[in-house]
Amino acid sequence: MNTGQIISGAAHAGLITWALVGGLFEAEPLPFEVTEVTAISSEEYAALIAQQQSPEAVANVDTPEPPQEGEAPAVSSEADTAPSTEQPKVADTPPPDEVPDIPDPQPAPEAEVGDEPPVLQPPQEDVAVLLPDTSARPQVRPAPRVAPEPVAQPDPDVQIDEIERQETAPSDEADEAQPEEEATAPEEATTEIVTEAEEAEAAAPTASLRPKTRPARTQPAETDSAEDAPATDGSAVDDALAEALGQSDGPADTVAQGPPLTAGEKEAFRVAVGNCWSVDPGSPAAKIVVTVGFRLTQEGRVDGQKVQLLSSSDGDATAVEKAFASARRAILRCDIEKGGYNLPIEKYDRWRDIEMTFNPERMRIK
Amino acid sequence: MMKHVLSLLVALVILGLPAAAQERSGPLRIEITEGVIEPLPYAVPDFVADSAAAGDFGRNIARVVASDLSGTGLFREIPADAHIARVTSFSSPVQFADWKAINAQALITGGVSVDDAGKLVVRFRLYDVFAGQEMGQGLQLVGTTDGWRRIAHKVADQVYTRLTGESPYFDSRVVFVAETGPKDARQKRLAIMDYDGANVSYLTDAASIVLAPRFSPTGDRVLYTSYESGFPRIYVLDVASAGRRVLQSQDGTMSFAPRFAPDGRTVVYSLTSGGNTDLYAMDIGSGQSRRLTRAPSIETAPSFSPDGSRIVFESDRSGTPQLYIMPAGGGEAQRISFGQGRYGTPVWSPRGDLIAFTKQSKGRFHIGVMRTDGSEERLLTASFLDEGPTWSPNGRVIMFTRETQGAQGRASLYSVDITGRNLRQVPTETGASDPSWSPLQK
Repeated sequence: MNTGQIISGAAHAGLITWALVGGLFEAEPLPFEVTEVTAISSEEYAALIAQQQSPEAVANVDTPEPPQEGEAPAVSSEADTAPSTEQPKVADTPPPDEVPDIPDPQPAPEAEVGDEPPVLQPPQEDVAVLLPDTSARPQVRPAPRVAPEPVAQPDPDVQIDEIERQETAPSDEADEAQPEEEATAPEEATTEIVTEAEEAEAAAPTASLRPKTRPARTQPAETDSAEDAPATDGSAVDDALAEALGQSDGPADTVAQGPPLTAGEKEAFRVAVGNCWSVDPGSPAAKIVVTVGFRLTQEGRVDGQKVQLLSSSDGDATAVEKAFASARRAILRCDIEKGGYNLPIEKYDRWRDIEMTFNPERMRIK
Repeated sequence: MMKHVLSLLVALVILGLPAAAQERSGPLRIEITEGVIEPLPYAVPDFVADSAAAGDFGRNIARVVASDLSGTGLFREIPADAHIARVTSFSSPVQFADWKAINAQALITGGVSVDDAGKLVVRFRLYDVFAGQEMGQGLQLVGTTDGWRRIAHKVADQVYTRLTGESPYFDSRVVFVAETGPKDARQKRLAIMDYDGANVSYLTDAASIVLAPRFSPTGDRVLYTSYESGFPRIYVLDVASAGRRVLQSQDGTMSFAPRFAPDGRTVVYSLTSGGNTDLYAMDIGSGQSRRLTRAPSIETAPSFSPDGSRIVFESDRSGTPQLYIMPAGGGEAQRISFGQGRYGTPVWSPRGDLIAFTKQSKGRFHIGVMRTDGSEERLLTASFLDEGPTWSPNGRVIMFTRETQGAQGRASLYSVDITGRNLRQVPTETGASDPSWSPLQK
């Protein structure tokens, strides 16, 4: 038996001995609640229950005694002494301001008058402003109260009260001190009943002027040298310029005002006329394309019930005539049945003059 | 580089100016490509009778005029009880506002009187209500009291022409085969009537079967085929006298399907000889015939073009009946029908632009039209049996035979517009077939 075994055996033995003797296996009991119970007899229980019954009313109750009267406090009849006040000092009169020196009036400079009469400038149309015909009439201010006499309008920062008071301030010279008060004024009143404000006519123009077209070029003054210049066909140049600018003679050549018709508005117009356009697919007129022109009034009515044939495709004269009659009938029929065409009035310049092409190609029998 | 940019900008501005100016100025331009197909509303109050002798002519004439116009499908009459204005005198001014209010786009007023000679005098005026003016000038027609219907048709013809721009067709007649009795023992007679079925009269008796009458270009004669001799022979009949004569033919042959040339002197027909059927042309005065086709197939149903230069006919040389066109003097024929089915009985339109035909396809019969080159074929009808088209004098309407199915089936006449609309039955007292429309009466 070597030393290691001896040490091991001794250690094990000691450990076992400690476990057995040292209380390793002696555990503390778990804590638990203990309630003490007293055993009583049935008589004692009956007596205990009897004590918990409702109390009976007791007639003989002692009334508490009222408190005894004490001595009243003494009251003094002497008036309080008035506080002394100082009279305000009179301020010294300030010296008068110095009179400024007034320079002697100088004679007015003489106006320079030329030999040529002044040229009267033509009114500039572009800056014309619509002025009101009459000046604004004074309006009665609206007020909820009516006074026999008109009341002056108080200052804007004065408080409105039933009683008018003057503004006061504390003064050292006063015999009696006055409380500081703010100035008040009676509520604004008027001499006539105005239930609501009447709007004065606006002085500002209600509509602005439409921009004017570019003014025509002024004709150059004829001079003697013009006779020496080579002859040129001015009208041809003007026509070429007008053509390049898409202009030509006639009332329809003025620049249209207002926004253009929308695609929807054009489509509605087109559909409206199409529904009034009766086409006979078997007729020779169904092979003719005609373009007609007419003018609408602002109410959307055909002006003078006049419809003009502007152009047509090639075809028999009778067929062209009947194709035009059919187109004219469609335009007038819509006008009469619907009491005019429904187009936006603000765009009148856009649809005043109309060129309408009636193309029955889709309607032809094939 | 900067110069190039400036030049480009200047060019763009110059090029853009016209477009911008165009956008901002000028009339509003609208193109209408879709219309409606609806009859034009019109009003025709009773014609005012100037005397008691005029009696009911005023009302009757107005009714015939309205029937003619409304029967086209192009016009719609506004009934008299909807009228606001009353026409009490032919010469009284027209209250256009009252007619506009009822949407009458055309107004026909008239007066009727009987003169000292017993002639019926009819006057009428046509107004464009929307334009507020008269269309054309007033017209006066004089005729016998018995012919009041013709006068009414004349009035309707004038109105039709002024409103449509087309030639009229109301004052015309139709020759047809009147059929009576059951199918297995049917009696057939030639009959003639107004285009609207009125005034029917019979040209032949029922002793023999008659077929395919055809008017002459002037309307005074009728060609037809009769089995009077036991074989089909071609006869020419004078409408006024009902006198008739047979055209020359060789023994042992069958001749049928005759039709006048536009000149009225030549007749083109089919002749069957030795089991072969070809087309022949005969001078009706001399009786001289010449052969137009030489083919082992069946060539029949010839019809001249309005100018007399060409003939359209039916041939089965391709295996099935199809339509061909050849020169009037004969020669190479050109096939024009290429659709599915069998084509027959072609008839050239008086306008010259269309050819009407009968088509059998998938067990049904159709009346159709095509252009003279065979294009744009359109079938206008479809039924158990439609056949034998004939053109109205103005080439606008086609009349044909429609036969119903079964042992009790009855043949009737129908008309249809070339647009395929307005299919109507022509009223006849008996069964009717094989119509031929006359030219407009003089």
